[in-house]
Amino acid sequence: MKNTKLELSVGLFVVLGIAAIIYLTIQVGTGSMLSGDTYLIESRFANAGGLHSGSTVLLAGVTVGRVEGIRMESSDYSAIVTLRVLSTLRLPTDSMASIKTTGLIGDKFVSLSPGADDTYLEPGSRITLTESAVDLESLIGKMAFGSVEKEKAQQDPK
Amino acid sequence: MRSLSLILASFALAHGHLSASTLEAEKFLKKAVTEVAQIADHSQNSSALAASVRPVLMNVISFELMTRRAVGPGWREFTEAQKKEATDLFATLIIRTYSSKFTPGEFPEITYKPAIVPAPGRVEIPTRILYRGSQYEVIYRQEDSVAWRITDVVIEGVSLIATYRTQFDSQFKQGGAPAVISALKKSVATPQ
Repeated sequence: MKNTKLELSVGLFVVLGIAAIIYLTIQVGTGSMLSGDTYLIESRFANAGGLHSGSTVLLAGVTVGRVEGIRMESSDYSAIVTLRVLSTLRLPTDSMASIKTTGLIGDKFVSLSPGADDTYLEPGSRITLTESAVDLESLIGKMAFGSVEKEKAQQDPK
Repeated sequence: MRSLSLILASFALAHGHLSASTLEAEKFLKKAVTEVAQIADHSQNSSALAASVRPVLMNVISFELMTRRAVGPGWREFTEAQKKEATDLFATLIIRTYSSKFTPGEFPEITYKPAIVPAPGRVEIPTRILYRGSQYEVIYRQEDSVAWRITDVVIEGVSLIATYRTQFDSQFKQGGAPAVISALKKSVATPQ
């Protein structure tokens, strides 16, 4: 009888432990470990390459939210990124959202910079002033092609 | 059935209005760009270009909105006189900086892509500019306040407003509005 009680307690403890691990895994995976109330806002990017659900949203270097989801707007083929930000954060309507990289090849994150408007973004509203992820490879490619053109122009002056 | 036709009619009206405003914004941008390119074509040097292009740009770019957005939240603490001074200096800085990038006699080839309407009263026109053998992806952001005005230019994914906002924000945090104005004065006074 005593052994059964002990086994039950150990079993319960193990089940609770596993449940806690599963819960934490899901929370960390979706990046929703934000303390306090939150709300959702959207931002429209021409290119959201490298960003994923759970990516950090920073303002002045402070984590103020996470990327909740990314979907494509079929009308203009742009990326709509849903951000979950702390409800204590009031963002003016002309705030900007930029996709930045930690270091040169690090993770992508969304950087918010507040604007000067007297009106504020409501939950569910959209940030339209955005800066997409800068495509380093295409920039390097352009530099290479640009130099070819310059050499050609130097060789063949008008 | 009646409500469905009403919904369809209102959608058609909204879509029609959207297309009309987009066309208007596109027409406005094309006219402005052609005008500036023609002036650039006839100018002898960049300083002459900056002077001759200024009246045109003052009518096509909303420098007040640009300066306000570039400064960010600190703008609310600017006095009316400081706002005016900062706007004038910012306009001079932008016109001078971009005039210096033009070479007289070189005409850019501009390809306009379909406009995007991110929000009512806002239009983004992506373009591809071929200038002196290099290609640039440039997005013109326009807003319809009293008339269509350019409010931001995004070159190769980098926004003009965002670039200046980072700089002005740190200036403002150091010394408020006078620090921003003095930084602008310093930039304008520095020869190109």
